[in-house]
Amino acid sequence: MDITPETWNYIGRYVGASLALGLGGLGAAIGMGMAGAEANRAMMKQPSKHSDLLRTMLLGQAVGGSPSIFALVVGLLILFLPVNESTSGMVFASTLIGAGLAVGLGCFGSGVGCGFPAAQACSGVARNPKKSTALTSTMMIGQALAQSPSIFATIVALILLFLPTPSVGIASAGIAIAAGLSMGASALGPGLGSGITAGGAVKGQSDWPQSRSITVRTMMIGQAICDTPAIFGMLVSFIMLFTLQDLEVSIIGFSKVMAAAIAVGIGGIGPGIGCGIVSETSCEASAKKPEHDALMLRTMLIGQAVSQSTAIYALIIALVILFVV
Amino acid sequence: MMDPATLLAVLETTLSQADADVVESAITGKDLIKAGALMGAGICMGFGAIGPGIGEGFAAGKACEAIGRAPEEAGLLTRTMLIGQAVSESTGIYSLVVALLMLFVVGV
Repeated sequence: MDITPETWNYIGRYVGASLALGLGGLGAAIGMGMAGAEANRAMMKQPSKHSDLLRTMLLGQAVGGSPSIFALVVGLLILFLPVNESTSGMVFASTLIGAGLAVGLGCFGSGVGCGFPAAQACSGVARNPKKSTALTSTMMIGQALAQSPSIFATIVALILLFLPTPSVGIASAGIAIAAGLSMGASALGPGLGSGITAGGAVKGQSDWPQSRSITVRTMMIGQAICDTPAIFGMLVSFIMLFTLQDLEVSIIGFSKVMAAAIAVGIGGIGPGIGCGIVSETSCEASAKKPEHDALMLRTMLIGQAVSQSTAIYALIIALVILFVV
Repeated sequence: MMDPATLLAVLETTLSQADADVVESAITGKDLIKAGALMGAGICMGFGAIGPGIGEGFAAGKACEAIGRAPEEAGLLTRTMLIGQAVSESTGIYSLVVALLMLFVVGV
């Protein structure tokens, strides 16, 4: 079979765009579905509040849908990016697949994550319709922060698409896919975790609206810490894209970058979700008892730090693979 | 399904066709062992980090909930949380050790 550079370009476009839109759209759809299901449940209990509920649900779904818009933009770019003759072929195809992996996996996490605060806001509005404005604004802050991993992923995808890849011949094909995988997979967990955190904060606020400022502050600190694995993943993908100019062109060089990407990328999923579970309950607890806020914050930070340790092991192993072995 | 030898031959031809002047040598068995060790270490640490990360999150989450209910028992609850997390961490440390073994002992 004869595989021309043209064929590689098409393979890259189709695989990359389907990864970006398939995975990115899937996440946002799950998140929107969670919001819709909760809104229906609340409406069934309180049919008189239907207009408030509908507004909250639509706002939550609109803001929660933006990761899928990032995925759509990058997916269309992957499909229609003009190719110049010098880069055409396997390397170009793998930058497209790498960009698709980054934005697809990254937007999947944030898309599902944005569903948690939207769902909690719907059930909160039904319980406490007078506080719906404050609740909706907390929901939107939480969703915006839960989208930061997907924004990191979009940035890496755009870098992959528009900056020249390291000119190490065929090895840069491996670098491009690995950089996309490490960013995308490591953004998945933090996106989910930040969303779970925002869900807890919205739930806490809907039950105890008077301690709103403390709840929002705890939520923002918790989400910032949830994002750490995504930052590790972004760091490793930048290292791959910008410093590996002397990667050996062999199966060893290829497995080096892939192994580092799997370590830091997949390794970031668990800690991201785990940190989210910690700060979810911490947000609820500090909303309930704002007078013990310092104690809750301390416990949350200790718990998140320990939960984060495996992400740090994964980062260490990735750096050892890249630079020591 | 191709057998490994054919697969290797196909991979080699693809590599050399794609960039003939850079690839100077064929893939040897030693290279394959090293590549396998690298991939093994990556997969080991990557997937091994999922469980402990989520598990420790559950432990700390429940501790936060309990401290919210009974703040006067915070010392005891934090201690229990840390013991639970340490035990849950052990599998993450196993992964780390196995990954380091693959990188520095097996794959040389």
